[in-house]
This record gives sequence, C-alpha cells and structure tokens, in this order.
Amino acid sequence: MSIISIKNLKHRFIDRDEEGSVISEKMAIDDVSLEVKQGQFIAVLGHNGSGKSTFAKHLNAILMPTEGKVYVDDMDTEEDSKIWDIRQNAGMVFQNPDNQIIATVVEEDVGFGPENIGVPTEEIWERVNKALADVEMTEYRKHSPNKLSGGQKQRVAIAGVLAMKPKCIILDEPTAMLDPNGRCEVINTIKELNKKEGVTIILVTHYMDEVIDADYVFVMDKGKIAVSGTPKEVFSHPEKIYEIGLDVPHATEVAYLLEKRGIDIGRGILTNEELIEELLRRGYIENKSNSIHKTDSEDRSSLTNKINDRTGDRKETLLEVSGLSYVYSKDTSYEKKALDNVSFNIGQGEIVGIIGHTGSGKSTLICHLNGLNKATDGVVKYKGRNIYDKKESLSELRKHIGIVFQYPEYQLFENTVLEDVCFGAKNTGSTKSEAVETAKKSLEMVGIGEEFYNRSPFELSGGEKRRVAIAGVLAMNPEVLILDEPTAGLDPKGRDEILNMLKSLNKENGLTIIIVSHSMEDMAKFADRLLVMSKGKLIYNDSPRNVFKEYKELEKIGLSAPQPVYIVEGLKKKGMVSENTAITSKEAADIIYETALDSL
Amino acid sequence: MFRDITIGQYYEEQSNIHSLDPRVKLFGSVCYMIALFLADNIIGYALAAIFLYVTIKISKVPFKFIFKGLKTIVILLLFSVIFSVIFTDGTVLLDLKLFNITAQGLVKGIKLMARLSLMIMGMSILTYTTTPTDIADGLEKAFSPLKKIKVPVHDIAMMVSIAFRFIPILIEETDKIMKAQMARGADFENGGIIKKAKSMMPLIIPLVISSIKRAMDLAMAMEARCYRGGEGRTKMKPLIYKHKDIAGYLCLFALLAVVIAGNILWDILDINIYGFITPS
Repeated sequence: MSIISIKNLKHRFIDRDEEGSVISEKMAIDDVSLEVKQGQFIAVLGHNGSGKSTFAKHLNAILMPTEGKVYVDDMDTEEDSKIWDIRQNAGMVFQNPDNQIIATVVEEDVGFGPENIGVPTEEIWERVNKALADVEMTEYRKHSPNKLSGGQKQRVAIAGVLAMKPKCIILDEPTAMLDPNGRCEVINTIKELNKKEGVTIILVTHYMDEVIDADYVFVMDKGKIAVSGTPKEVFSHPEKIYEIGLDVPHATEVAYLLEKRGIDIGRGILTNEELIEELLRRGYIENKSNSIHKTDSEDRSSLTNKINDRTGDRKETLLEVSGLSYVYSKDTSYEKKALDNVSFNIGQGEIVGIIGHTGSGKSTLICHLNGLNKATDGVVKYKGRNIYDKKESLSELRKHIGIVFQYPEYQLFENTVLEDVCFGAKNTGSTKSEAVETAKKSLEMVGIGEEFYNRSPFELSGGEKRRVAIAGVLAMNPEVLILDEPTAGLDPKGRDEILNMLKSLNKENGLTIIIVSHSMEDMAKFADRLLVMSKGKLIYNDSPRNVFKEYKELEKIGLSAPQPVYIVEGLKKKGMVSENTAITSKEAADIIYETALDSL
Repeated sequence: MFRDITIGQYYEEQSNIHSLDPRVKLFGSVCYMIALFLADNIIGYALAAIFLYVTIKISKVPFKFIFKGLKTIVILLLFSVIFSVIFTDGTVLLDLKLFNITAQGLVKGIKLMARLSLMIMGMSILTYTTTPTDIADGLEKAFSPLKKIKVPVHDIAMMVSIAFRFIPILIEETDKIMKAQMARGADFENGGIIKKAKSMMPLIIPLVISSIKRAMDLAMAMEARCYRGGEGRTKMKPLIYKHKDIAGYLCLFALLAVVIAGNILWDILDINIYGFITPS
C-alpha cells in the first residue's frame, strides 16, 4: 500500500515587488510523480536549490501544491480538515537542531507533539518513554537541550516526532549541520527505526554515503526527478550524478576511475567491501590473505616521527606557536584545559589543515592565532614578534591574520554586498574610495561579479553568501587566512567551488591558509600539512599522507581516514602488495591499476 | 562576557520547594513582595529574612548561589542606597558641605538595602527551584480565568517559555558574531557613546536577522508537530494541587498575617526609631 502518493506535483515560487506585480517566477518543483510504500527507506538526493526541501515540505502539508496532488495515507494535503491528521502521520525533522526544539527539558520536548494532538497524560508518558528509548536518549531525559551535542539534539527531534506515532518520518537534511560522529549517530538511528519499528523513512540529503542502504533513491535536479532507482541502479551512472553536481560514494568513484583505465569490475559498486571483493573475484588482485602476515612492526616504525615539522625547509616562518595552553573558567569547578602545550610553526604560503573531533580544541586554537583569545600560557609569534607583547597592537595583527568563522554568512549586515565587504577595509583605516577598491578586488578573488555589488547580501544563495563573507575578511588584506569549516552545510558543488577558490588564492596571491575541517577527504586533497588535535593536545603534525597512514590511531581519538585509505588498506590485508597509501580516490585507482597490471 | 549572568538559572535538586506547585511558588513570591513593602520596621524585615532563610534551607540550594545572584546587582544596590542617604532631608548627622548625611537618610538607606537584597534573594530562590517551563505553566494556569475576557494567556505563556529556551542560544550567538566582526576589525570597546552605539550595528543587525530566521524555523517546526494554540491541548505534566501545596499556601497566609499584624502593632506602640538619636 502506498503511504505517500504524488501525482504531477508542481510548485511555483513567485516573487512580487511592493505593488504586487510579479518580479520573478521559479518552478521549484516541476512535474514530480512518485509513490512510497509503507515501511520503505527512501532517499531524496539533490544539490542546494534542486527543490528537494520544497518537496519535503509538501509531504507534511507545510506547502500546498501549485498544481498536482499530494496524498499522505490517502489524505489529500489540500483538504483543510485533514491537515492535522497528515502532520501527525507524516512527521518532519528539520536541518537546524537548535531551531526545532521547543521545551527547555528533553522529555518535555518529546511530549510536545502528543500534547498538541490531545493525547491523555498517562499515554503521553508512555509514548515519551518509548520514543526516548528508541533513539537511545533515555539517560538525557532531564537534561537541557542546550547542553547536548548536535547529533543528540537531532535524536531528540526524531523522538519528538516518534512520540506522535507517525506512519512515516520525513527528514530534511538532518545531518547537514553535524560533525561526522553526529551524522553517524543520526543515520544509524534512522536505519534502526526503519528496520525494527517499520517506520517509513524519507531522507532528504546531499551526502551520498547516507543513501547506500536506502531501498530507493530519487535524485532531484532543477525541480525534476533526474534519476531514480535502487542505490545500485542510480550509482551505475556516475557521469550522470557528476553532471548534476553531486558526488558518488568513494568506492563507486574508484571503480569508475578504474573502468576508464580499462579495468572493468562492473557498475553499481557502493561500498569498500564490494569493491575489494569484486577486484579479488575478477582476479585483478590475487588473494593471498592466508600467507601474508605483513607485520604491525612496519606500521609502528613510522610512529616514532609523529611530530615531524616540515616547515622552514625553504619557506619563511610566519607564525610560531610555542607551549600554548588555555584554561577555560580557571579556578572554578568548570575548569577545563582547552589547549595543552601546543607548539607548531606555519610557513609562508602553506596550506595547513587542522583536524580533530568536536571539542578537541581546534576552534579555541584558531582564536589564539590572532589574539581573540589570550593564552593562559605560552607564546604566539607573528613574523618573530610576540603578539602578547604590550607594544604590539592586536587590531594591527588582525589585519594580517584574518579569520573566517563557521557559517560566516551570519556576520553579513550591510545593505549591499559591496558595502558589507567594505566594512573590513574601512576598519583598517583606508579611505572610502580605497576601501571600495579593495572590496572590489576581494570580491573578484572569490568569484563574485559586478552584478552582485548592489544586491542585498541576504537575498543571495548559501554558497554566494559564504563567498561574500570570505571576501569581507579578504578585504582587510590579510597575509594569513584562517577558516573554520568553510564548507559546512554546502553541497558537493558549493564545497568544490570554495576549496578551488581557496587553492587559487593560495597559488596566485600567495595567501597562507589555515583550514579547520571535519572532512578528511577534503583535507587529503587540499592541505599540504595536517595538525591533528585531541583533547587540547597536538598529536600529529605531518603531511596528510603520513597522518592518514596512522588511521588506526586516528580512530582511537574519534576520527577516521579518508575512504580511499580504507580501500587500499583493505586490499593490502587481502594480499595486495604495495608500499603506498592512497589518500584520494585517484591515488587508490592508480595503486590498484598498477598492482592489477603486475598480476595480469 | 555574557556567560556570567546567574539570575534565571535553575538549580537541580530534589527538595520540597522544588516539587511545590509553581502556582504556590508564584503566589509565594507575590506574598513575599507584599510583605516586604508593608514591612516598614526591623521586625518586618527580620520576619521576611527568617522566612527566606527557612525556605532556602528547605530548598537545599547552597547559600553561595543565592549570594552570587546578589553580586551582579551590587552596583545598582550601592547607587540606590547612596542616593537615598544623600537626598533625604532631616536631622543632620554629618555636614559635608555639598550634601548632608542625615539620620533619616541613613535609616532609609539601610531599609532600602535590606528590602532590595531580600527581594532579589527571594526572586532568585524562585528561579533556582522552578524550571522556566514550570513558571510559564504556572502563570498560564493561574491566569487562565482571563481567557474568558479574551486574554491570550496560553500564547503568552508559550512565548515566555520559548524565550527562556532561546536566551542561552542567543547569548552564544552574540559571542560568535562579536568575534567574527572583531576579526573584521570591528572595535566594540573604544570611543564615545555615539561611536559605541554605531559600532553595535554590525552586531545587532546579524543578530536580529538570525533571530527572525530562527523564529520562522521554529514556527514551522511547531506547526509540523501539530501545534495549533492552547485549544484541545493536553498536558504531559498537568498542574494538580497536592497536600504540600495546601500547606505551602497556609504558610504564606500566615506570613502575610504576621507581617500585617506586626506593622499594626508597631504603629500602636508608636516606637520611634529616631527617638534616641534625635536631640530633643
């Protein structure tokens, strides 16, 4: 039986000016028809602006069709009398964990939905208990939501929907604002609910690895369903997915790269295990896993030079951090050592990545580099001068070291894009015309054209806003640019645009870049050197290749290596002989290709 | 910089005060305030202080938390005391050319200080022992008769409790935006009043915009969870009076009665506190 049935759905957004005449029209959803059966796990993929969120809102009767029909459990969403039944049956979880929790105590928030639909008190308690147990949040029931992690908050939001006993749950990018661990928690919870409780799941996302286990995938582009099928079918056409501006899972990517070089292992490979198995089955790699006992001792040898500072060979040292420690709320019961004796150097023109799980001290660390936080202990030197010296001016320093914080678009405030970017330039003391000049140059650097100058920053798309915000920091003419999660919440295309832009800023303008990220894959492609933080300590300072070689150690501190590392290591366990570690899909394909040539 | 605010914090503990019906605690706070305003003499303040002391003891909230609440307003307190000492006419104790310190002023100042600090401590015991949701629920229920004259009691209570939920989030956000603008060279500390006010714009505008966005998101999330006002809504934690709530009310009436009686008694006996320091 179909729980959701959509027939020729169209949704038109109309922009009107103050007099009410139409400025622009946009078909957010353009003739979409689909059926969802009870108990299925459905994924809707698409880049930002593809219409997937608009689509999700139709399923919960938050939006009404411009044309066509949406039926939820055989109820027409346009029928006013059914609206509350529809919302109860098709629960919705949104993207921002903070903006959907209503109560100040976890259990009360879970009870909010049942209260609204008039469930008797005792039953509310039963439902709340059950829902919290289902998402494994029972031990946090008396907590304030503000003290929870992002992943935990999203699980509370899921429990809040579950307590209404819905037949299906629609999740609109529930993991877009979470770190990798939080993302994992939420996705596992969703899968459990689908399997054990038989709840129909509709997951809207742009992360490919989340849809591998779905029963059926719809890929949306420009308001239409561009590709649909089982994950296997959908990812059998990587070129189509790339064309839409999305990624494919890493194993699929490696298989596709191999196929292009003549090693055909079939289409539709989704996981690392499938890839490895297929390579062995087809004889490209010989299975010697029984005879091979390649030692751990070899792995251990590289551990000795964990902290291997590779700056200063040719590069001039810009930033010197030595013995930096920072203690939060010193001398109170909340005392916490956020940074613990951290030392490293940053050379002119480097791209340095900082990784570590949430709470490892990454963000605290970058705030020290331009004096926004003052260290409890230790020294930061910029071009050999101690920034804590009384003679040094911090505002002067901040001109040289720019920081772009996470979700920088929230700092935009002026009427026009150009004025906003001028803000930083004006603060450095330049005249109006100089500031405008600098602002224009900065906007050009981030690829924002003249046509945007007089538009309000608030009407831009997410990716555009972010680039304007980065330009706002570039307008101070920094020599070092520090970015905290610059790609958070962006789709693959937006992410690539930002990273490519940063790369060219580094190459062409000689900008030194320090980037904090949760994405190991991005760091593998992007950074010259990685700093790994754990519990306030710097535990690795080395090239991405050497750091990711230690993937077992990284896992112990709640991190992981990029997927290609696991593919190659998996193959090595099965007997593939190679001295190399692959940190990108291309490298993995290269290694497999060479080994396959040898064995053929 | 905003993280030190303690008023309005909840102190988790199992006590008879914590488990009282919020309506009793709200009524208690009102009674306590009335008592403080009625009390015009040492006996009245002493009674209020004893009442407060007993309440704090029962609630198991450590005294240092109660005093922490006072610390934040210590400047306000000092100012009001100094003003009342300086600007009250009466018997001159000390002639300081510019102003005189009078006996009446001194007494008034001390009274004011006692009244204010007792008031703040009383209010902080309310917030330490009652969650914001409980306060909102209590207000809603207590004022529910007003629904008959079309006062949107439920909506107001809902707004209050949402406000409580978002205060810490907005404080954190302010901190973040401030840092981001400082990294763009903004200066929030130096300059005169006008310059300072102007320099706040890069902070206030993003904050307002993001609050509006949050409000819209939240409204959508609430609607998606079938929220449609107070009509037909049930309660997970309905407010029902228990025996101890009745006992609580009795204590409060007793307090009021004693304070009023004390006041009347004081007037009848006509004890003049200034008597012994006023030269006859």
